[in-house]
Amino acid sequence: MIRRLLCALLLPALLCSSAMAAEKLVVATNPEWPPMEFLDDNRNIVGYDVDMFKAVAAEAGMEAEFKMTAWDGIFAGIAAGNYDVIASAVTITPERQRAYAFTVPYYDVQQIVVLRKGNSASGFADLKGKVIGGQIGTTGVFVAQKSGVDMTIREYENVGLAMQDLLNERIDAVVCDSPVALYYANQKEGFSDQLTVAFRTEATESFGFVVRKDRKDLVERLNKGIEAVRAKGIEAKLIQKWLGE
Amino acid sequence: MRENEENGLPAGMAPEGKIEVPAGGLVLPDSEKGSLVNAWSLSLVGAVVVLTVLCTVWPDPYLEILRFLPGGLVVTFEVTVLSIICAIPLGLLTGLGRLSHNRIINLVASTYVEVIRGIPLLVQIFYIYYALAKFLQVSGLTSAVIAISFCYGAYMGEVFRAGIMAVPKGQIEASRSLGFNKVQTMLLVVLPQALRTIVPPVGNECIAMLKDTSLVSVMAMPDLMQFGRSFAAKSYLYFETYTVIALIYLIITLLLSKAVSILESRLNYYDKRK
Repeated sequence: MIRRLLCALLLPALLCSSAMAAEKLVVATNPEWPPMEFLDDNRNIVGYDVDMFKAVAAEAGMEAEFKMTAWDGIFAGIAAGNYDVIASAVTITPERQRAYAFTVPYYDVQQIVVLRKGNSASGFADLKGKVIGGQIGTTGVFVAQKSGVDMTIREYENVGLAMQDLLNERIDAVVCDSPVALYYANQKEGFSDQLTVAFRTEATESFGFVVRKDRKDLVERLNKGIEAVRAKGIEAKLIQKWLGE
Repeated sequence: MRENEENGLPAGMAPEGKIEVPAGGLVLPDSEKGSLVNAWSLSLVGAVVVLTVLCTVWPDPYLEILRFLPGGLVVTFEVTVLSIICAIPLGLLTGLGRLSHNRIINLVASTYVEVIRGIPLLVQIFYIYYALAKFLQVSGLTSAVIAISFCYGAYMGEVFRAGIMAVPKGQIEASRSLGFNKVQTMLLVVLPQALRTIVPPVGNECIAMLKDTSLVSVMAMPDLMQFGRSFAAKSYLYFETYTVIALIYLIITLLLSKAVSILESRLNYYDKRK
């Protein structure tokens, strides 16, 4: 009670003194998932998710401070309250929804399997007996596991290392989200000339921003922000900028 | 003379070659074995009990996690055993090289120890698997064994060197004066005696090695740690998964450390009787 009173007294004072500073959200992202989020040459976290979330937060009257986080454990961090939001190309799945709250979907992807040039496959069945790599804890790995095809699945720290091992011919394929696969197969220097897209899964997945379960208020504000970003045409510009669609 | 010897024995000490059994057939705990409640048994019983209770009371996540892990355990043991097989000879050679009077051999061995000791094992693993892939490509298992045995070979080299140096110089002089050459002296006189000092620390290094194999999960090697991370990443049950992983590593390590201490007491059998 006393704390609440103190807050009520102090809050206006604080707000006045800092000239109505916007609420700051700490946002976790795993910048190893280009072009959704990655580090540029000056080690700034950039990418579609970063710009998108900044726009959404701005529309919702908040500021975003990005925090570099390893993917393995990014969910444990939000449960522990180390940050307010995860904006890191997180697919909305029923398992994740049970543990965390999601905003409305903001982008749809599929899974793509990438091979070395000169190889082909039209589905997981063609990869029987082969070694497929992916980033640990990503939906690409889950899709490969659920396919039921008898192949060795190797789970890497990040997708870049998996792609590197594909080039080194230690594995036969890599599975990841479509924007990432296309980035490596078509754009990334040193990779695009040696890699080719084999096939995409039929099922689509949707990305959402992740918030702790008890922060329903924040989910609502972010949802309104996403709506506003869409209505103002910012989303289309960002897709054009980062994903070239 | 004989009478004197018998009478001169302190109370409670049995004549040589006999084990004294106290009256009443009650065997008191040997001071060497320690009492029943010590840190080791407490940890082991604690770990096993916690694991069993977790698996019986909440079989839903815990038993499922436990069922998921054996594949990883096999890889962990595979990497550990192969690395031990490679690291011990490497350590012996390094130890001998460090003691060599040949300046070139000495320099090579010393440089190896200095360089490897100065690079973290995780960096070495990354280096051999990802960086050297440009020139030669080795499988995950081979990279893991190379990285770990090179690293521990350097650590063990120092252990071997210290063990050999601990053998009194008189032993070497005696052996040489009896007509053994340098190689025979080392193999037949010095090393067997050094073994007693070397085995316990080498055993400890092997246990540390088993724990350090958890680092190979960065190469997407499916070891115990990687299985655990994979399970946690899929189920989001971080607390449950890592609790089980920690308990399993603890149980294995405790069993191995007991094996090392038994080996140690066997080797010191004659020392203790003095």
